[in-house]
Amino acid sequence: MIQHIDVHAVLQETVSGVYTDLVTRTTGRVVREHIERAIAAAEPAFAIARMDFTGVGCIDYSCADEIVAKLLRTRPAVLVLTGITDGHREAIEPVLAGHGLAALLERPDGTLDALGAPQAAAALVEDLVARRLAVRSAGGTIALTLS
Amino acid sequence: MTRLVEVPVQFDDRSFDQFVSGFAAAGKDGERLLFDAHAAEWASPYGLVGLLAAGEAARRAGGEKPLLTVPTHADVLRYWARAGFFREAAGMFEIHGRVPRGKGDESDVLLPVTPVRAAEDVHAVVSRIQQRASAILASELGLDPKATMGFAMALSEACQNIVEHAGTGGWVAVQSYHWRRKLARRVVVIAVADAGVGFRHSLEPTQAKRFGERWGDAAALEAALIQGVSRFRDPGRGQGLAGIRRYLARWDGKIAIRSGTARIAIVPRWDDDVPLQEGVPPFPGAQVLIIIPEQESAQR
Repeated sequence: MIQHIDVHAVLQETVSGVYTDLVTRTTGRVVREHIERAIAAAEPAFAIARMDFTGVGCIDYSCADEIVAKLLRTRPAVLVLTGITDGHREAIEPVLAGHGLAALLERPDGTLDALGAPQAAAALVEDLVARRLAVRSAGGTIALTLS
Repeated sequence: MTRLVEVPVQFDDRSFDQFVSGFAAAGKDGERLLFDAHAAEWASPYGLVGLLAAGEAARRAGGEKPLLTVPTHADVLRYWARAGFFREAAGMFEIHGRVPRGKGDESDVLLPVTPVRAAEDVHAVVSRIQQRASAILASELGLDPKATMGFAMALSEACQNIVEHAGTGGWVAVQSYHWRRKLARRVVVIAVADAGVGFRHSLEPTQAKRFGERWGDAAALEAALIQGVSRFRDPGRGQGLAGIRRYLARWDGKIAIRSGTARIAIVPRWDDDVPLQEGVPPFPGAQVLIIIPEQESAQR
């Protein structure tokens, strides 16, 4: 099973019902801590957390680091990011690469793309396929086996 | 006794050192300062937020509000009002001269002079700029519409430097204008200024040892902008300025940061600024200038 995290809802609930942007370290910290509690409370623990960024406006580098990179550093679970725009990706990708980390980006058609440091990204995909959490199609695309 | 500080006729990042020289000389004996802007003919967003930072520094040093004589030229006065300068200046200076009312919502003023003191202010700035900047960036500067989010990210990170490092509040302003003298193209300019502790003081506990005798304002700016170091030991820190640099490299933009007695710049092809200047007149805090030019047709 996959744990679903609605990032926009977390932002609205924890920081602001008005703003839709994930900006500043302070905001990132509050949002991450909420997500960490949600992940820790799950029983049994999920192998994969799907973070849905739909409805989130801008993400800055500080927030990308505070949320995505720190979640991966402190809880080395698999993160699947969905609802990601090009702008979100612009903030998240260099932050992950800088830390030597990787996460998965899920496209609307369900196929996956690895984001972050190339070596970590390749290792992440290999690991998922080996654990049968994801499969490779004949065309070379990857998709999750769970929903 | 009151000491006079002249505001340059053309007040922008290039005349800022001239202004700071006068400010430093006048402020030596702790007398009350009079900032004389009566002859000002033009001020960039950098000039306006820099003047507020000077006002704050003067008030902090002298204990009472410095004086400010407003520009006599009606158009200049109206522009300063439209840019939201007087709304902030009212709390910082004893203002002499009639100030017109301005809403600060003209199309060339993408973001009027806005105080930045806490994370919430950065949220408000980012939210507001996305609503206003998108059309300007795409239609007037020829940037990809997707560049708006990168612009908001750059603005957010520039403002966060105040919240995270200044130890006091500061101001930000964003404006679009036709830069005839230098480029003969439109530009969008972000100016951020504070009169806080500055980069050297902020980075000293973690970086001074590494630089040894070279340590100073210039080395601190180099460490922050070029090497991406932060005062925090957290390995994720220092991403903000690196992210701004990436964004500007993509859109042929410029960043210059002045702090203490040094100034550093990432200089694009269209500019002839000096990459690193040491020994400029001392001024507290940090002043950041970001310029994104209209894209040449080949780049579009």
